[in-house]
This record gives sequence, structure tokens and C-alpha cells, in this order.
Amino acid sequence: MSGNRLIWFHGRECPHCRKLAPLVDQFEAETGIRLERLEVWHNDENAKLMRSLAAVIAPACGGDLGVPAFYNEATGKAICGGRIDMPKLLAWAKG
Amino acid sequence: MKRLWRCHVCNDVHWGNAPPEVCPTCGATNSFVPSDLGEALEIIGRDHPALDDREGVLAAWQWFSDQSPTVRLTAKADEMELLCKGVLENLRTKGQRYCPCRLPTGDREKDEGLICPCNFLRQPTFKETGECWCGLFVRRGAQ
Repeated sequence: MSGNRLIWFHGRECPHCRKLAPLVDQFEAETGIRLERLEVWHNDENAKLMRSLAAVIAPACGGDLGVPAFYNEATGKAICGGRIDMPKLLAWAKG
Repeated sequence: MKRLWRCHVCNDVHWGNAPPEVCPTCGATNSFVPSDLGEALEIIGRDHPALDDREGVLAAWQWFSDQSPTVRLTAKADEMELLCKGVLENLRTKGQRYCPCRLPTGDREKDEGLICPCNFLRQPTFKETGECWCGLFVRRGAQ
């Protein structure tokens, strides 16, 4: 499945995801670019999509699938982890 | 290949490639014999307390932290509570106390590596940041 979405895979009980949420809000407000937020622990469809992208996302997460993870459908690039900041998010979104 | 072993002296049960040379419970040497699931379950009993509530999970994490010279629990109580909630939710919906920041693959053997606490010491994230992936356990001296 591919398109032009910028996807944020997150987990409801993941502290890093919770901490990143304000940054994602800020990113959207400042750039006007919208991220599709897909929860993967309580939504099987979202989890399935994330698993299908494991070849790209897992290496970005240190070897296993993890959240928070960001996947750019247009470029096929992924970033992952709790240490994502605005410059990293911008670079990922803009390819 | 891992299998079950039973100490013939005190009925201590061990799961592993080989049994302990010295039984950690009674101290007997070379006392283990191959066992099986039925025997082990009979010995363990059905009334063994489950780790399926907040107090049990937090106590297990605390025990792990207290005995480790390398890592300790995070000092961020709110994050610990959130992770505990996630782990218990995963137990309820996915059948195991999986890390709420990782995603099971469906491959049982692989997913066993996601049960909290996982073997985070060997993961690149811990080597780089001094924390397990979800931040529950941190290297002593950090944070």
C-alpha cells in the first residue's frame, strides 16, 4: 500500500508517544502539513499496516518494530524513537 | 534446545538447555532429572499467583531493579504507571505482558523477546541512550 500520506504510528500507552504528541501538534500548526495518526496497539488494521512496512520501519527502530514511528509514503523513509525533534520531523516530512 | 528439569531432592523446576549443577533452592548437586509439562504444572500448582494487576507488575519490576547492579527503574513515576497500564492491557488483549512501545509480529518465538522486561541490555537503544526502548529501565547513574 502506498500513497502520499505522512503516517505517525503510535501506541496509546507508550510514554514517548505521549510526549511527542505536542511536537506533532506544533509541527502541523507551523507547517500546515497533516500527519495521519495510526494507533497500533488497539487497532489491528493499523498494526497490520505497520507490520507490512517492517522492512523499512524496524531498522529505524533499532531492529524491531516500535513506536513512536513515522513513515513517509512518498519517500519510503522512516524515523523512529523518543528522541525525535522538530528538525528531524521536518527533514523526514520533506524527504 | 530448552526443556524442563526437576530437582529430585526438592522438586525445584528449571526451564533451560541444561539444569543448574547446584540446585538454587536446596543446594543439592547434580540433582536434576528431565521433566515434562504435566509434572512441572503438578509441582508448581494451580494456585500460583498471577502477575495480572498493577501491584504485582510493579513489584516484579521493582524486584528486578533492586537486584540489578546495572539498571534500575525510571524515576518518572507517571511513565511507569502508563507503561504498567499498557503491559496489563497487552496481557488482557494479546496474552502476554508485552512492551507497550513495541509491536508483536505474530511469530511466537520472536515475540517472546518483547515480554517486559525484555533483554534490552543487548539492544542498540540501550547501548546508545542508557535506556530500554520504552524508558522503563535506565542505566544506574543515568537520569
